[in-house]
Amino acid sequence: MTRSRSLRRWSGYLYALPYLTLFGLFVVLPLLYGLRLSLFRWEMLSQLPPRFAGLGNYAEAVRDPYFWRSLVATFQFVALAVPLTVCLALLLAVGLKSLHGRRQAFYRAAYFTPTILTISVAGILWRWFYNSEFGLFNAYLGRFGIKVPWLTDTHWAMLSIVLMTLWWTVGGPMVVLLAGLQNIPPQYHEAAVLDGATGWKSFRYITLPLLRPVLLFVVVINVIGAFQVFGQTFMITRGGPEMSTRSLVQYIYETAFNNYRMGYAAALSWLLFLVIAVFSLAQFRLMKER
Amino acid sequence: MSEGARMHTLHKTSLILLLMASALLTTSFTGCGSGGRRVVTVRFWNGFTGPDGRTMLRLVKRFNQENPDVDVLMQRMDWATYYNKLFVAGLGGRAPEVFVLQTLAIPRFAKSGFVRGVDDLCAQPDGIDVHDIDANIWQGVAVAGKHYGAPLDIWPMGMYYNRRLFREAGIVDARGEPKPPTDRAEFLEALRKLTRPASGGKPDQWGFVFTNFESNVYSFMLQFGGEFFTPDDTRCIMNGPRNVAALQFCVDLIRKYKVAPPPENYDAWIGFRQGKIGMVFEGIYMLADLQKQQDLDFGGAPVPDVGGRRAVWAGSHNLCLRSDLQGPELRASWRFIKFLSDNSLDWAAGGQIPVRKSLRETPRFKGMAVQSAFAREIPYVVYLPRLPFIFEYQTEFNNAVEKALRGSATPQEALDTATANINKIMARERNAGSGGER
Repeated sequence: MTRSRSLRRWSGYLYALPYLTLFGLFVVLPLLYGLRLSLFRWEMLSQLPPRFAGLGNYAEAVRDPYFWRSLVATFQFVALAVPLTVCLALLLAVGLKSLHGRRQAFYRAAYFTPTILTISVAGILWRWFYNSEFGLFNAYLGRFGIKVPWLTDTHWAMLSIVLMTLWWTVGGPMVVLLAGLQNIPPQYHEAAVLDGATGWKSFRYITLPLLRPVLLFVVVINVIGAFQVFGQTFMITRGGPEMSTRSLVQYIYETAFNNYRMGYAAALSWLLFLVIAVFSLAQFRLMKER
Repeated sequence: MSEGARMHTLHKTSLILLLMASALLTTSFTGCGSGGRRVVTVRFWNGFTGPDGRTMLRLVKRFNQENPDVDVLMQRMDWATYYNKLFVAGLGGRAPEVFVLQTLAIPRFAKSGFVRGVDDLCAQPDGIDVHDIDANIWQGVAVAGKHYGAPLDIWPMGMYYNRRLFREAGIVDARGEPKPPTDRAEFLEALRKLTRPASGGKPDQWGFVFTNFESNVYSFMLQFGGEFFTPDDTRCIMNGPRNVAALQFCVDLIRKYKVAPPPENYDAWIGFRQGKIGMVFEGIYMLADLQKQQDLDFGGAPVPDVGGRRAVWAGSHNLCLRSDLQGPELRASWRFIKFLSDNSLDWAAGGQIPVRKSLRETPRFKGMAVQSAFAREIPYVVYLPRLPFIFEYQTEFNNAVEKALRGSATPQEALDTATANINKIMARERNAGSGGER
């Protein structure tokens, strides 16, 4: 009795073992190595071995204006991109649900397609779309006498990046939300209609509450992803103009692989990790309590 | 990295194909040398992803045909990430036998110990005559008295001008030929004549545009006699009055004289190609781009001297060797480098200037109009400051220039900030270097 129970308990781990091995080897171990590294001064160019520096790298980050600038840019991106992505994904999912059969499959695929593109392809494409003199957007807008400085103005650049991100990434959350919507048993809505609920009310009081677990998942995943924004800004603006779109991950990349300051880059990565962890926990709290 | 910025349209698929092809080649060639002789494989890395890559590939193929005992495998990657990959490969002991370093990267790679000096190889009977290379170019690859590569070419910044616009504006010599300006007064006069507002009041034609902040502004600063570091290289003094005056001159072109568009609303290089810009200062490597265009009547000339001293920004590609090469590999690699140097006129035809003086004396080179116009600048070209932390320096410099040209800081403020930041980096480097207590 006890033996089979303990066997059952361990068999779970046994099944997870292949994944856990890879996860431990390629995620947990490097993570811990990075944590150790963040306590060292390691300027790879100097040919000197790493030197223990305690929290020196973290102290440097606090005093580093570039760190704060890139953190602000990252927060701007998260604050703009996440709500827009989730709302648009939800809107599209609701729209798709009202379609059936082939038409649904067609539109679902159409909206999902951009997600398949790699960022290098999407980036080169959008850099051309956004080109203020010869780009696609300004060519159309020019007919109305409008010329938008998509990437060349510090105020516009981040908005342009967000717009591109919306196009590129909305497909993923849309598919997840659609699956969530389809899992809501139709009886609830039928009962609501009998009770006289209108479309908006049944969405607000039935669909949304039942969708909450899926929504939580989508929001959390999107926040984590948005904090790690790199490809879009790196491909389209290189962080410019005037570093207004240089995200924290880009700064970490440049610190590690252009300037070879490995310890400092590791410390910056751990600071990003902390920010993401705090936000993810807060979201779980917020959405679970109600 | 100006070249990198312009050429970073990396085609991932083509890179992957290239990798696959080179992997196939390696497996099929290394094992079985033809005729029983051992074939030495020389891996050759560079960042020639543009049309220059095709020119280089032709040279590599020719070398492989003429040297059956050597197999050179060329791998191209985008300049923007090239140095990262090279550095990491070097750390892991897997650096290629031969690789290209731009002059700005030499101090950095020399310091990290991946690069072999070439002085002994040049002095050998099958060496390269270093007196055939201009002294300032040869000095560019030197670190602490040792030379770390064979310079292949030089790309000075020169002036491209639109001959049609010059004629229309009446900037011509006695024979009616377009006359490029050579000093400040002529430059400003030409700019005024070339800038023409459209009917709506907004100019549709500009005299000049900043296509590359770094090379353009750096050249102006050099012409104004600006200094960047103290002679003993211990402190950055980039915010000196001459550099501030030079940067102010650049800002004035935009704000005061209104002969150049503000950088936020003009896509500079394409504007020149469209025939809307009178003059641009760019590297010789942009030539191929212009030559493709049939309907643009352009010329090349030395950059006018606006500050009282002749100077222009330049860069070079240098052929470098891995530091631990020995025996047949070293000999084969050097033979390849010598081949490229001797044949650098073929390389030049693709839009470059060879560093070998003897090659520049040939009628063939003199027939290359723009190349030989730009080559007149060689005696007074200046490379970027020689720093191991060059990429951090560039970030600071470009950030300052961008702020000033866009008007979000005065030239003095922008350069003060950059100078303070660079001095902080230097202090950090010193601490890392002297803190050897381990």
